[in-house]
Amino acid sequence: MYNLLLKDLKLGVSPLFFVLPLFTGALMLIPGWLYLLVPMYFCWITIPNMFGGYKSQNDLMFTSMMPVTKKDMVKARVSVIVILELLHLVVAMIFGAVNLRLYADMTVYFFEPHPGFWGLCFAMLAIFNLLLIPMYYKTAYKYGAASTTAIAGAMIFAGVAQWAGIQSPYLADLFSGSGADNTAAQASLLLAGVLVYAGFTFLAYRMAIKRFLKVEIQ
Amino acid sequence: MLALDIRNLNKSYPAFQLKDVTFQLEQGYIMGFIGANGAGKTTTIKSILNLLHIDSGEVHVLGKSMAEHELELKQEIGYAFGGVDFYTRSKLKTLTDAIRRFYKHWDEDAYRGYLRRFKLDENKKIAELSAGMKVKYSLALALSHGAKLLILDEPTSGLDPVSRDDLLDIFQSLVVDGEISILFSTHITSDLEKCADFITFIDNGRVIRSSEKNEFVETYRLLNGKESELNDVKDKLISYKINSFGFTGLIHAADFDPSSGIPSTVPNLEEIMIYFARKEHSHV
Repeated sequence: MYNLLLKDLKLGVSPLFFVLPLFTGALMLIPGWLYLLVPMYFCWITIPNMFGGYKSQNDLMFTSMMPVTKKDMVKARVSVIVILELLHLVVAMIFGAVNLRLYADMTVYFFEPHPGFWGLCFAMLAIFNLLLIPMYYKTAYKYGAASTTAIAGAMIFAGVAQWAGIQSPYLADLFSGSGADNTAAQASLLLAGVLVYAGFTFLAYRMAIKRFLKVEIQ
Repeated sequence: MLALDIRNLNKSYPAFQLKDVTFQLEQGYIMGFIGANGAGKTTTIKSILNLLHIDSGEVHVLGKSMAEHELELKQEIGYAFGGVDFYTRSKLKTLTDAIRRFYKHWDEDAYRGYLRRFKLDENKKIAELSAGMKVKYSLALALSHGAKLLILDEPTSGLDPVSRDDLLDIFQSLVVDGEISILFSTHITSDLEKCADFITFIDNGRVIRSSEKNEFVETYRLLNGKESELNDVKDKLISYKINSFGFTGLIHAADFDPSSGIPSTVPNLEEIMIYFARKEHSHV
């Protein structure tokens, strides 16, 4: 599995996608912005480009010829996705911390980047992974429909979450108002997000293996 | 020992079917796997490598079942797929660095040796290699991880005669020690006349014959008769062509009566392939 991961990171993923989190993370410095958009760039840019690269380089055939199991192939690919997602979120969190210091006194309309907000981001990527990974592994090379569905799922979640965060005084208070200073509440929201992310991604991985075992490598 | 033992391989697609494909390759020999485009060569090869799910049948490589020992056996199989490119914008050394980690018996000295022997520059990108050099690179990889069975799918297609001859010499030198075996699919039958020990001929998903090369061609006769003689042998011919001089037809040697007076010759592989293909067309 480690060799496959190394192969994916060295051959399959352009170095651009390891640098991209710095650029998208820096968007956290835009004052009062809709910060749920920040991790969304991973879904819009990295995934379709990365999967397009695998497809055009015949990665599926290349990897299938080697002494590896299909299970490990999925595990390595899901690991690459998780590594990049975490990179995006961690870098964005660092910029988010700067944001909170820079704009402490500013009244903002959308979610502020407190820990609870990052819980929402984890949940958003959880939905993205759950839709993307099993759909992709129906063929293990066609990524258009899987990416479209997963992006739509993540955007709908982000839209509903942000709308509810504005409309509901309770949620507004919990995420950005007085709740922002409640460490326990914020930590719980973040933890809940991380757990949903881990659970959904694991479920996606299991579903992907089941589907990929049926795939014929043409 | 058998390097490759395939028995009753069946695989159905809506428009194509592999039917009871059976053949064996002894260790230390080169087998030419011939057939027209679409006859089932690549489907058979992909079934051997477990890339496809076969409906029924058994594949044994070096005495072990491929279904049960896939990972272990893939350590022992080398491949070259002509015309399929992977990571073409990467340098050879980048690609090799990713590949060698997967093989337990990777021999770096042997790899360096093959790079020199095949005149491969590892700072070049795959896209910069000629078709022949790509096959040589695949061979260098396969031989450096100690592959005992080389599966080459159309390795010489698209190569110029000089490169093809060069590769055929390499193939022959590889099997000299009796350890390495080669299954070599192609539709360029003259290549096999030069280097194959055995021939397996597949047509429309069915193995027509698998045997030693000379025995294979000796099984058939090519008749060049007058049109008036055609009716005497028409039913026994595999297929025939009529031309201004009479007819030319392929027949099983066993079905041919030399006393009939019809001039006959031993056909070459290409003629056998062509007449079998005509038989298919006449049945459609």
